[in-house]
This record gives sequence, structure tokens and C-alpha cells, in this order.
Amino acid sequence: MDNRFDVELISVTKRYGTTLAVDAISLRIPRGTYCCLLGPSGCGKTTTLRMIAGHEAVSDGDILIHGENVSDLPPIKRGTAMMFQSYALFPHMSCLDNVAFSLKMRGVAKKERHGRAREYLALVHMADYADRLPGQLSGGQQQRIALARALINRPRVLLLDEPLSALDPFLRVKVREELKRLQRELGITFIHVTHSQDEAMALADLMVVMQDGHIRQSAPPREVFERPISPFIARFIGSHNVLRAPHGQIAVRADRCRLGVANDGPHVNGQVIAVEYQGAMVRVAMKTDAGDEVSALVPDQTFYRQPAEPGDLATLVWSEQDTHALMQV
Amino acid sequence: MAGGDAVKGMSDGASAAGVKCLVTRRRSTRMPPWLVSWFQVGPLALILTVLFALPTTLFLVVSFYDYDRVGIYPAFLLDNYRELLTTPATWRVYVSSLRFALIVWAITLFLGFNVAYFLIFHIRNSITRTIFFLLCAIPFWTSGIIRTIAWIPFLGRNGAFNQMLMALGVTSHPLDFLLFSDFAVIVTYVHLFTLLMIGPIANSLSKIDPALLEAARDAGASRWHTMTNVVIPLSKTGITLGSILVFTQVMGDYFVVRQMSGGQSASIVSMLSTEIQAMQYPPASANAMVLVIFVAILVGVMMKVVDVRKELVK
Amino acid sequence: MTARISEKRPWTFYVLGTLFGVYLLFLYGPMFVIYVLSFQGPNGGVTFPMVGTSVVWFKEVFQPGQMADIPVSFSRSIALATVVSCLTVIISVAAGLGFRRRFPGSAVLFYLAVASLVMPSLLVGFGIGLGFQFLGWQPSLFTSALGAQLTWTLPFGLFAMFAVVNRFNRAWEEAATDLGASPWQRLRYVTIPILLPGIIGVAMGAFTLSYDEYARTTLTIGPKNTLPLEIYALISSATSPTLFAIGTLTTGVSFLAIFIALLLVLRMQRRRALIKAA
Repeated sequence: MDNRFDVELISVTKRYGTTLAVDAISLRIPRGTYCCLLGPSGCGKTTTLRMIAGHEAVSDGDILIHGENVSDLPPIKRGTAMMFQSYALFPHMSCLDNVAFSLKMRGVAKKERHGRAREYLALVHMADYADRLPGQLSGGQQQRIALARALINRPRVLLLDEPLSALDPFLRVKVREELKRLQRELGITFIHVTHSQDEAMALADLMVVMQDGHIRQSAPPREVFERPISPFIARFIGSHNVLRAPHGQIAVRADRCRLGVANDGPHVNGQVIAVEYQGAMVRVAMKTDAGDEVSALVPDQTFYRQPAEPGDLATLVWSEQDTHALMQV
Repeated sequence: MAGGDAVKGMSDGASAAGVKCLVTRRRSTRMPPWLVSWFQVGPLALILTVLFALPTTLFLVVSFYDYDRVGIYPAFLLDNYRELLTTPATWRVYVSSLRFALIVWAITLFLGFNVAYFLIFHIRNSITRTIFFLLCAIPFWTSGIIRTIAWIPFLGRNGAFNQMLMALGVTSHPLDFLLFSDFAVIVTYVHLFTLLMIGPIANSLSKIDPALLEAARDAGASRWHTMTNVVIPLSKTGITLGSILVFTQVMGDYFVVRQMSGGQSASIVSMLSTEIQAMQYPPASANAMVLVIFVAILVGVMMKVVDVRKELVK
Repeated sequence: MTARISEKRPWTFYVLGTLFGVYLLFLYGPMFVIYVLSFQGPNGGVTFPMVGTSVVWFKEVFQPGQMADIPVSFSRSIALATVVSCLTVIISVAAGLGFRRRFPGSAVLFYLAVASLVMPSLLVGFGIGLGFQFLGWQPSLFTSALGAQLTWTLPFGLFAMFAVVNRFNRAWEEAATDLGASPWQRLRYVTIPILLPGIIGVAMGAFTLSYDEYARTTLTIGPKNTLPLEIYALISSATSPTLFAIGTLTTGVSFLAIFIALLLVLRMQRRRALIKAA
């Protein structure tokens, strides 16, 4: 029994009829890790999460939690707890009863379970809302109740299904901080599904990028951002240019590119097609003579010294040491 | 736009305090929303008032009238009510009807809930589900009278059911109690009215978010606990609606009891129809009024349990 | 490795499925009795055993007899049901749209509709019949009987429309207004077409309710009977397999009507789903 890892997926496959939603993926998540499953729609990240939770049966392969094979166990016996995308709070129960629900299922007496539920409500700063119904709360508040409800069982692994998608951008950042803080405090593993690379990079200790039912790269965010394995990852993670080179494809970070003059160094000629002001940076989108789309992230001061307009001819310049070779996949 | 020109000075984002708009508004000729609604519900309101509310008031009034063999006379007498409420026959009939209603309600609730649950939660293919619903509904389109009558050859001494039982060796001679008895009445009611439970309950069940069932399972709820803690509370509206429909149909029944009980039981409404045919309108009206009040109380109590209006007109 | 959690059905599926099967048998048992006995031989009675088979009773249905005149009452039933159906559709669609807003008196009207629905049918018929008598009017098919049936079909139509209208997204109406449609155009080209499947359902439901209606009609119809009343007269006077022949035929008519409506609705849904999926 290997106890270095909280969660292990061993060649896990999910089949729907003849379609493969998840294709023999393997993953090891160390203890107390914030792990983000990231990828475009249909990549299999939610299916993987649901298989770990036990809400979806595994077609092939095994899932281990704390070294124990849980592949055939019902959700409650796995030591996992799930926070649903729609929160799934019981509309006919008060917040207190919602949080205390799993204790009620285990036969805990009313006084004790209400007491513990109040503790967890306090943990998520919702103690005053104990007697309200979910329908009377805002989205952000409902989410905190859903969190408390999931945590009260002291799970070993917390599974979050796109928890921030329904929130407005400002709230998203705030809740992100809280989730990270909570994970550090509790010391358990969080597995968080998202399609936003910003979110994943901000939160994850381990970032798992998926595509078409496969895991394409699984590494800390810095490594994925600085050394993406494939063109798909480079493009998906954003802020990267994928360019052709004699020996294959290379990636260069957009913020390491400038608009300049063609000299001996690597460069590519083209035409500016869009200029986007982003506050601290300006994004200049270009179409190269060969027809590829590239962009440069230029600091605002630099840009406005010599502004460019859509339609201008320009040359994208970068230095050799900033290129990174990509595998063909 | 014209308005924009008049306030050109504000384009740099300056505060609007003290700046007057120089362009006058155009008058809008739109009807207030509540008036539009009144027009839309008008015909319904009119018909229901004239054809339902007024006639009900009418027999409220007539129930106080005097009568004899020749005709009826406007008056304000409580005699009709007194006679009605002091006759043991009245109470017997009400108790009998209520008894039938309760038994039928329990059976249809059990059957209806389970069938609805099966169709909504266990059938995954929506085409299959539609076909099954239609199968349940098709018999409803045949006249209730004919469906009632059809039970006679089925349950009689020489009927299909007895023949089947004897062929299977369950009994050696035909069972007598099957027909022209309380059993027959209840069976017929269940046959006629279970759909009234299935419909509203299936409607309520379909509105339950499947994620709630998963959340319950995630928290360790067994199938039974999920049912009692989540499914049943959330289907209260459907259960109440179905119950209202079944109760009122049984209490207001005219035909089934007369045919299937072999004269052993009477129904409230058949008592009424006898009086109507004898042109004794005042006592018939009193009878009707008592039934109306009884039904109103029943429905009122049920609707206190669930705010039906909020659920339906969401 | 030990057995997998498969997607197979839980045991409750089989239990409930069996219950459902039993319920269907229970539902259709008497129906089959009707269908079978309508082919009863000429010397047979209304119960088993079958004395040969024949279509003699079907022929009886179409010949006006002394006891009952089926074809005429049948056509009256159809005519009345058609009128009731049309009126119900128009009135309950309008009312359903009206109830989308809160307006003064909406609660009263709602409870009035509920009351009209649950009131025992015979009482309503009685009330209307009484009213007509007092006013000295003669009850007849298209006045009192029509009115009595409407008190039953309109609440049904209204509640059906609630379900339909709830699923209607107002954004469609707003888009229509945005593109320059007047309220009438909006109603005609956007609202009604989108609601059409539900409306057809209401029409068919009202038709069937009217066609089978007995209790409310009996006291308000005057001398000329509709089919259910004629059937009742037949039952009271003499029972014969003609009744079952009628039952088989009327089931056939209802079935046909609903089948046509269903085809229409399915065709509409399929076309719309294709557009959504594209």
C-alpha cells in the first residue's frame, strides 16, 4: 500500500457504448495537493472526477484512495465528498439541515449534528444563515453552504466540479483565494475541474491538462507554462505562439516577443490584424506571411512609444533562448 | 440621436447634475400590463362567473326555499337543512362515500406514486417513457361509463377473472364477492382514477434536479432515505393535486356506486339526482350545498399543506 | 479483480417494473373484455361465455333503434366536442398568457378555476339547469350543455397552459418586438407557433373530455341526447353487447384523434430539435 499518494488512477477507462470518454489514464496525486483538471469541453475531465467520486462506474482500470482500491465502493465509503457545479442544495431544507444531512444519514442525534453543522457554517462564514432556505441566498452564499456540506464528513479528498463558473469575475477571484486557503488549512487533497487556464494556474500545485480522454501533461503550473509539451497545450494555456521551425514546431511566450526589425535573430514577418489594450500590457495580433496567427504581449509604455495599427506591416522578433521545442501531438 | 446632441457636453464623462435635457419625450400609448392581463383572462372569468359562481349562488338561495308537491316558493327556511342533517340516511351515505374515498385514495396514491416514479426515474429513453405514459392514458379516452360496465363481465360469476382463477386452480368455484360489492366499487374507482394521481405526481417528480439525488447519495443516503428526505418532500404538490382530484371524483360520483354495488350502497350525488328528478329543488339544493361545503373544506385543508398556486403559476 | 460496479439496473427497477406491468394488465383487462365481447355472437349476452362471433352488434350501432339513436347522438357528440374544443383553446390560451403577470384578482380567479374543476359534475349541471329553468329558458345542446362542459374543460385547459407557458422563454417575444413586430404580429408569428404543441394537446384533451362527458351534460341538455347519455339510456333499458360495440368504436375514434394530434406534435418537435442541435 503506497501511502505517498492521496489518489491514484491506474489505467482508468470510461466507455459509453462504443465511445471512449476517458482512455486508460494514469495519474498519481501526492498527499495534500491542490490538483486541477483542465481541458476543453468534452475532454473527459468531469467524467474522471465523477469516477473518482463514485457517481460514474469505471469501465476498466482501478482507482486508489490512500492506497485502498475504491473502484467498487459507493461514494460514502470512499472518503471523498463532492461539490456539484449547480451546488445541488436541497431546496426544501434550511442551510443548517443541508449541512447536517450526511450526519443525519449516519444516525447522529439531532443536537449533536446541528452543533457540528454550526461549526462548519462558521468555518465558511455563514453562521448567520443557518435557518434560511437555499433559495433565499445568492450564488456565492449557496456555494459556501455546499462547501460546508461537503466538508462536514471530513473527507480525504474534496472534489469540485467547476465551482467558480457560475460566479461573476470579481467574486471568482475572492472565492479562489478562499479555496486555496482552505485547502492549505485542511491539508487534504482538492481535485478541481475547470476549463479556465487562469484559474488552474492560480490554484494548482499539480495541473493536469486533458484532451480527448487523455492526459496530455501533468505537472506544476510553472512547468506547464514554461515548458508545454505539445502545440495543443501551448495554445490552450494561452499567451504562447506556436511557430514552425526547421526541425519541428516551437513555442515562444507572447510576452517574450516584441515588434521589431528583422535582424540575424529569429523573426517572422506579417501584418497586424488587431490591437487589444489590456491595461498593463497591449496584445498585438498578427498574421504572418505564411498565414499563421501569432501575437505579442507588449508592455504598455513600450507600445505607446511606437504604436501600431491594424493593417501595418510588422515583424515579430524574439531571442533564441526563449524558444521551446514541442513534441508532435 | 437627437437626445444625444442636446447633451453633447457630457461625452467626457462629466456629472449630469444641473444639466437639463432639451429634447421632450414622446408620449407612449401602451396599456398598463394589468389591463392587458384583464383582457386576456376576461373570457375565462366571465364564463366561470356566469356558469359556475352564479349557479352555485343560485342553489344556495334555493336551498332555503319552501316546497310542496306542486311547486317551490321563495322563503328563508332552515327546514331543508334540518331535515337533511337529522336524517340518518344522510350521515350513512356521507360516511360510506368518505370510506370509499379514503380507501381509493390510499390505493391510487400507492399505485400512482410508484408508477410515476418508475416512469420518471427508471426509464432513461424519453421515447419509451412517452409511449408508456400514453399506454396509461389511452383507456382514459374511453367513456367512464363503458369502462365501468366492462368490469361486470370481468368480475361476474361466469366472468373472465373467475374463469382464470379456476383454470389456474386457485379456487374450485366462482367467487361471489367480486361483483356487486364494495370490492367491485373500489376496484372500479381505482381503475378509473389512478391516472389522476400519476399525472400530477409525474409532473412534480420531473421537476426534481437529478443532481439532488446524487448529492444525497454522496452524503451517504440509502435509497430509502433519499426517498423520504428528498423525493417525497419535493413531490408534495403533485401528491396534493392528485389527492384533491381523486377525493372529489369519488365523493361526487354518480354512476359507479349505482352500478357496481348492487344496490348495497348509495352515493351522495345519486341521492341528489333522485330529488332532482322528483323536481324537489329546495332539498336537492340543500343537499348540494352541504356537499359543496364539504368538498370546499377538504380542498381547503389540502391546499393549506401545499401552496398549490405558487407551484403551478411559477 | 473483483466485479465492477456496472451500469446494470438496481433491484428496485425490477420490482417497480413488475408493478407497472401488473398495473397495465389491470388497466387493459376490462378494455379487452369490451373489445372481445363486442364481437359477441347474435344469441350471446353481455357476459361470457361467447356464443359464436359476429359483427351483428356493430351493425346495431348504426341503425337507429327504438331505445336509442346512436348515429344522431354520435354526430351531436362530435359537433359539441368540436365547439367545446375550439372555445377551450382560445379562452385558456388567452388566460394562460394573462396569468404570466400578477394582476389584481388573479388569486380569486385561480381558486375559482380550481373550484370549478373539483366540483362534482352533477352539481354544476344541476345549478345551470336550475338557472335556466328560473329564467324560463329551454336547456339545449349549444347553450346550457355547452356552458356546463366548459366549466369542466376550461380549468383543465388553464392548468395545462400553465405548464406550457412556464417553459416559454420571454426572450423570444422580446426579440420579436426588437425586430419591429406589433403585439398582434408577435402573437401570431412567434408566441402561438412556439406554443402550438401544447395548444394541440389542450384541444385534444378538451375534445375528449367533452366527448365522454356525462354528468354535467345530463341535466343541461334538454331532450336531445349526446352519445354518453344515449349509452346511459341503453344501459338502463336493456343491456346488450351493442354497448361494447359502441365502446370499441368510441375508443377507436378517441385513439384516432389523439394519434393524429401526436403525429403532428412529434413532427413539430423533431423539426425544432433539429434546429436546436445544429
